[in-house]
Amino acid sequence: MANIYKPDLMEVISVRQQTSDVKSVAIRFLDPERARNFSFTVGQFGIFSVFGSGESTFNICSSSSWKDRIEFCFRKVGRVTDAMWQVEVGDVIGFRGPYGNGYPVDLWKGHDLVFLGGGIAMPPIRCAVWYALENRDQFGEITVVYGARTVADLVFVDELKEWSTRERVRVITCVDPGGETPDWKGEIGLVPSVFERANLSLHDPVALVIGPPIMIKNTLPILEKMGVVPGSVYTSLENRMKCGVGKCGRCNVGSHYVCKEGPVLTMDTLRGLPLDF
Amino acid sequence: MSETITETKLKHLAAEWIVAGTPVISPVAIKGRFLYMPLLSAEALAFSPETRPANSIKEFFFPKAETLYSYRVQGSSIELSEPSEFAGQQIILGARPCDAAALPILDHVFNWDSVDDFYNRRRTATTIVTIACTKSDDACFCTSVGLGPSATNGSDAMLLEISTGRYEVRCITEKGRQLFAGVTEPGTEPGHVTDAPPRKFDSEKVRAFAETHFEDTFWADHGRTCVGCGACAFTCPTCHCFDIVDAGPSAGSARVRTWDSCQSSQFTQHASGHNPRNSQPARQRQRVLHKFATYPEKFDAILCTGCGNCVRNCPVGLGVLSILTEI
Repeated sequence: MANIYKPDLMEVISVRQQTSDVKSVAIRFLDPERARNFSFTVGQFGIFSVFGSGESTFNICSSSSWKDRIEFCFRKVGRVTDAMWQVEVGDVIGFRGPYGNGYPVDLWKGHDLVFLGGGIAMPPIRCAVWYALENRDQFGEITVVYGARTVADLVFVDELKEWSTRERVRVITCVDPGGETPDWKGEIGLVPSVFERANLSLHDPVALVIGPPIMIKNTLPILEKMGVVPGSVYTSLENRMKCGVGKCGRCNVGSHYVCKEGPVLTMDTLRGLPLDF
Repeated sequence: MSETITETKLKHLAAEWIVAGTPVISPVAIKGRFLYMPLLSAEALAFSPETRPANSIKEFFFPKAETLYSYRVQGSSIELSEPSEFAGQQIILGARPCDAAALPILDHVFNWDSVDDFYNRRRTATTIVTIACTKSDDACFCTSVGLGPSATNGSDAMLLEISTGRYEVRCITEKGRQLFAGVTEPGTEPGHVTDAPPRKFDSEKVRAFAETHFEDTFWADHGRTCVGCGACAFTCPTCHCFDIVDAGPSAGSARVRTWDSCQSSQFTQHASGHNPRNSQPARQRQRVLHKFATYPEKFDAILCTGCGNCVRNCPVGLGVLSILTEI
């Protein structure tokens, strides 16, 4: 009997604490054959589990070209993530996936790319940024606008710095007013207003906007003013999931099962769906 | 010419099947009501064309709790093992046609894209014998969703009452023919079906309304009294939403699939606290939308058989029927 719910066993190969309550973890398949055959598209997600505590859904935040490992990032907010917080290098955890549709990177070729993210939305942007950097000649200007409540809440800070040194890459980081430290050199403000202030001139860009619903809502009119059509604006939904394979009945937005026909949707598609996300 | 069988003969057959080790699931009288349960003895068999169990037969295909796999943790090494609890062949005797009709509907969701063998292996191993209804109650509405008192969807064989204790046997599938091969008697009178419930709503109208009135005060007006207990979902033959949880060492260290209900407030709550369906009316709307618009759009089948369980089992008199008849 094929068991679609049975996870792969994965060895934890590194753990990085990103903030006081966010960690990123790198894992690899214990089964070498599975490791060789595994592939995914950036933007897809997995269901990660600690045996004895349960499963949680996270984006695969590593690039699809990193063949030796996959990475995910989580905030400690509940039973499973509390247990995941205790995981150390050498421990074995569960992984099911890849699930969902992923980013249509082939459609993005030849375009400028704008990534707009808030808070814990950085991981699903990070995988796409690395993918674009590794396939640099396929894309135009790359702009990343990333904000968090405070300086201490920013994740993947070292990588943001590294990206900003690359050719034709612009990285803007911001924190909410009051969230800055005395030596903060980035912007102060919310992602939509910082993005507007930057007054960028972009050539037929594709935008990926991920974050709290209010951030997405306030970013869309700015993109529209810049002439970006809703069909070129993508987001990744974060609906709660259990099975990841279109059975358990909880992630749907209208007739869209986010685990199957998502999590990546264009604003065009999203506008045609009921406000159930 | 038709094939017939008596109730006495059916009880003998049930006794033989049980002795041979095949579980027989039938309506059983318990504390003043009926429930579908595995029979311990053929004497407990309580089927009739009028028996309406309070549960559905879905739990014999999609159990309330089912181990997906077990794990053994030893230091940092983990060993996974497949569940061994699958019992094999089973016979359901005396199911309502509306309960059996749920299975071809559920086949879609358990088999689109990825295939759920936990469900499929029970489906393959089960023979379903239904009894055509001769009586409906106020909660019945099979005729409003395209079914009826003798709809054979999902049945392997159907019994139709000729007279008290005598049935016409209509074999529908090969499994049904095998089950009754050589045990029926020829007869001339056909079984009868009476008292189809009146058509109570137009399912196409419900679909059109649900698809175009997502943000309408209708849902608040009609969903507010729901207490979110999930009785509708748990007794529904087609509701199939589930959770996956870890049962600790005392329960054998297993990852278990359990029934869930879209009426629970935590059903869709994100880790951030954000909840797309943050009120009971929003959750009632989801229930109607999923059954009458989303599922038909995706799988070309209404996710409802009109059995009326949600109406009979609702503690506040809601069920889908009171909402649908208001549309």
